[in-house]
Amino acid sequence: MAKYILKRLAVSIVTLFVLITVVFVLVRVMPGDPFTGEKITPEIKANLEAYYGFDKPLPVQYFTYVGNLLKGEFGYSMKFMNRSVGDIIALSFPYSFDLGMRALTLSISLGLIFGILAARNRGKKLDLFCVVVAILGTSIPDFIMGALLQYVFGIEWGLLPVAQYLGFQYTILPSIALGFYTLAMVSRMMRASMLEVISQDYIKTAKSDGISNLRIVWRHQIRNAIMPVVTMLGPVVAATLTGTFVIESIFAIPGMGKYYVESVQNLDYSLVLGMTVFFGSVMIFANFLVDILYGIIDPRIRLGGK
Amino acid sequence: MDKKRVMALVLSTVMALSGAACSTPASKETAAAGTSSDSTVASGKDDATVDTASGEKIFRYSIAADVATLDQQKMNESVAATIGYHIQEGLTRSISGEVYPGIAESWDVSEDGLTYTFHLRDAVWSDGKAITADDFAYGMKRIVDPEVASAFAFIAKPLLNATEITAGEKNVDELGVKVIDEKTLECTLAFPAPYFLQLLSMSQFYATREDLAEQYGSDFAGSADKNVYDGPFKLKEWKPNDRIILEKNENYWDAENVKLDGAEIIVVADENTALAMYEQGELDYVDVPTDLIPNYPDAEFYYSGACDFIKLNTGDGPLANRNFRLALNYGLNRNEFINLSTNGYWTPANRFVLGIVGGESKTWEEEHPYTAFPLDGDQAKAQEYLQTAMSELGVSAPSEIQIELLTTDMERTKKEAEVIQALLQDSLGIVINISLVPRADRLSREETGDYEMVISGILPDYPDPISFLESWETTSPYNHTNYSNPEYDALLEKAYADGNATTRFDTLFEAEKLFMEDGGLVPLQFRRNAKLVNTAVTGVTNYFCGYNINFIHADKAE
Repeated sequence: MAKYILKRLAVSIVTLFVLITVVFVLVRVMPGDPFTGEKITPEIKANLEAYYGFDKPLPVQYFTYVGNLLKGEFGYSMKFMNRSVGDIIALSFPYSFDLGMRALTLSISLGLIFGILAARNRGKKLDLFCVVVAILGTSIPDFIMGALLQYVFGIEWGLLPVAQYLGFQYTILPSIALGFYTLAMVSRMMRASMLEVISQDYIKTAKSDGISNLRIVWRHQIRNAIMPVVTMLGPVVAATLTGTFVIESIFAIPGMGKYYVESVQNLDYSLVLGMTVFFGSVMIFANFLVDILYGIIDPRIRLGGK
Repeated sequence: MDKKRVMALVLSTVMALSGAACSTPASKETAAAGTSSDSTVASGKDDATVDTASGEKIFRYSIAADVATLDQQKMNESVAATIGYHIQEGLTRSISGEVYPGIAESWDVSEDGLTYTFHLRDAVWSDGKAITADDFAYGMKRIVDPEVASAFAFIAKPLLNATEITAGEKNVDELGVKVIDEKTLECTLAFPAPYFLQLLSMSQFYATREDLAEQYGSDFAGSADKNVYDGPFKLKEWKPNDRIILEKNENYWDAENVKLDGAEIIVVADENTALAMYEQGELDYVDVPTDLIPNYPDAEFYYSGACDFIKLNTGDGPLANRNFRLALNYGLNRNEFINLSTNGYWTPANRFVLGIVGGESKTWEEEHPYTAFPLDGDQAKAQEYLQTAMSELGVSAPSEIQIELLTTDMERTKKEAEVIQALLQDSLGIVINISLVPRADRLSREETGDYEMVISGILPDYPDPISFLESWETTSPYNHTNYSNPEYDALLEKAYADGNATTRFDTLFEAEKLFMEDGGLVPLQFRRNAKLVNTAVTGVTNYFCGYNINFIHADKAE
């Protein structure tokens, strides 16, 4: 297992470097120029370029950047002039992470429950209810969901604050809005997967062996049915934890998602790069965890890994 | 699975969720602000409402995005300038276009209008140190210093040698600013700029403490403790992307006339959310999204200063033809354009220079009324110019003329482009192709002249017509349209050299007329915002230049 982990780690590092290099080149060939403005003269532009080191040849800039990165320095944002990219991530990530954790807890647990219940009660009212939730969740875009929740619970009923992130009551609406889609996906996938497992021969065998119903559901059905859901969760968890532009904008949450989108719009080279490296690392780490989870859930993988 | 078990699962989910609430971001900056570091989001519940509850008068409004910087010399957007206007003070203070003494108690101007001598009052910074002439001189040098690399360096143009220093041709010490003694500062101008006193009230010209700028380097002004303040308020806390909190500056020389205890500026990206927060009483001031204005008949309009126009690349093709440019200008029904694109809430542009910029004693529009092109358009004239243009261009049918209209890929600008396309194709019979690109791309294509027509705009940097007109001189670094008229250049040179206000404004008016008669661009609209203000708050005003909202002398009832 240790060898397997080391191998994965090496691959991860190589992946990150490829990512840095590709993004470094891509942001530079994007149309536009970070120093455009109504009254920027060529002289002012030259001063700005020198200030950020853009007057040097691109390969030199690349090696300077990678060198700084190895020292743990992401450089300064070009839009938010007095802020280092590291500071921006350190300040905004906790908000995205907190919101993401709430949304994931809600969506994964409820999604699994809905999926299991629906499959176990196929064709009954409960199944219908879960299917409707799943359809709503996958078809209502998050900005509509967010605005709807805001309107109903915030403005019409006045039960919850419409925006900001200042306490528990502030977290409820954005968590639901953010988690609803994942909830629907998880429940749909779990339902389909459960239905497939339920009709397997080994379930019939287990039943004829006289194993209790609960034990069959837990040990034979859920455990087998959950694999595709776990596969899907890696990227979903990484994407949810690192913030989403829409939900953060609608609920005025100072998370990472807004920075990511705005940095691309502003051609804030250093921020785009820093965010990508960070997001890439989280994504790689999440997939890494999923691999380990596989081993725990499915002994065949655990044994095969040796 | 029985019902009890379902309930148990649901309950455990709820508990897991509320449990997570105890580990919310106890962020770095709350600790820095002196609140206990264990204050979680849940327990450190709304600083804002706590303040209001304790009877403090806090003015709250929202901004769509965090400010890029609060470094005096680098601020480059009106939201930042508005905050700068409240936490700092220049030698002068401009309130709604009127110049009042600021940190300078009085000043003398030489007869040729080239030398200004300022006498500073006995005022101190928020940290108690005296404000000196050195602080102002250092600030002005920072604007133009190539090493500081302020994107706003162009604003110092009237100061002697400013442009040369930015270009690296002269040393920073050669700037036209001299410290006579601790409380006396002398500025030497390159040309008599009657708007110089206005400029001094703007953020770039604020005093800056050399010791702090040197000490903090790139981090200078990055957080509340990394700068000092000499304005009516001081920065208490800046939570990036979240909120900016101001508190009254007791050290301000006129603190007795500041009634608010502070202000809270919250970053709310979605304008509908901001409106909902206003409705819930969480904001005292909000600009109503344009499409919701009909629901708020009480909303009060003000000009944001943004003026939009179609920039024409007069380099070659049909747009190099003056008659064709005039055909475009007469062919566009601007009233129709406004009704279709913004439900008539913005003002159709009757001229190039925004009418409310300052003239000699009244506004520009009052002193020099002018309508360059009828707002309803003039079909007869448009056809006349079009026919002449066609024969000059050797074109037999209008549909042979195809022009690309470039604009930003935003909902609003896309709609504007479609309306213009429909109106002009309809009235002139030419073919207009819309090209939508991201904003940064549009700006860089404008700069490199890679366009035919582009929907562009201007936000005046100072309330003087020259801020609009300087861009179209042949040698202007901001002229990316190939427009060149020696007569126009001569008029501007004359105005620059003119120390007499009356004749100077007359000359500028001639220049504006000439530019319009050349069809230099197609004026579109002057933008307006519709604001709602909490009835408990009084004394909040708006202006289109240097700041958008002024709450220095505002008050809030309990």
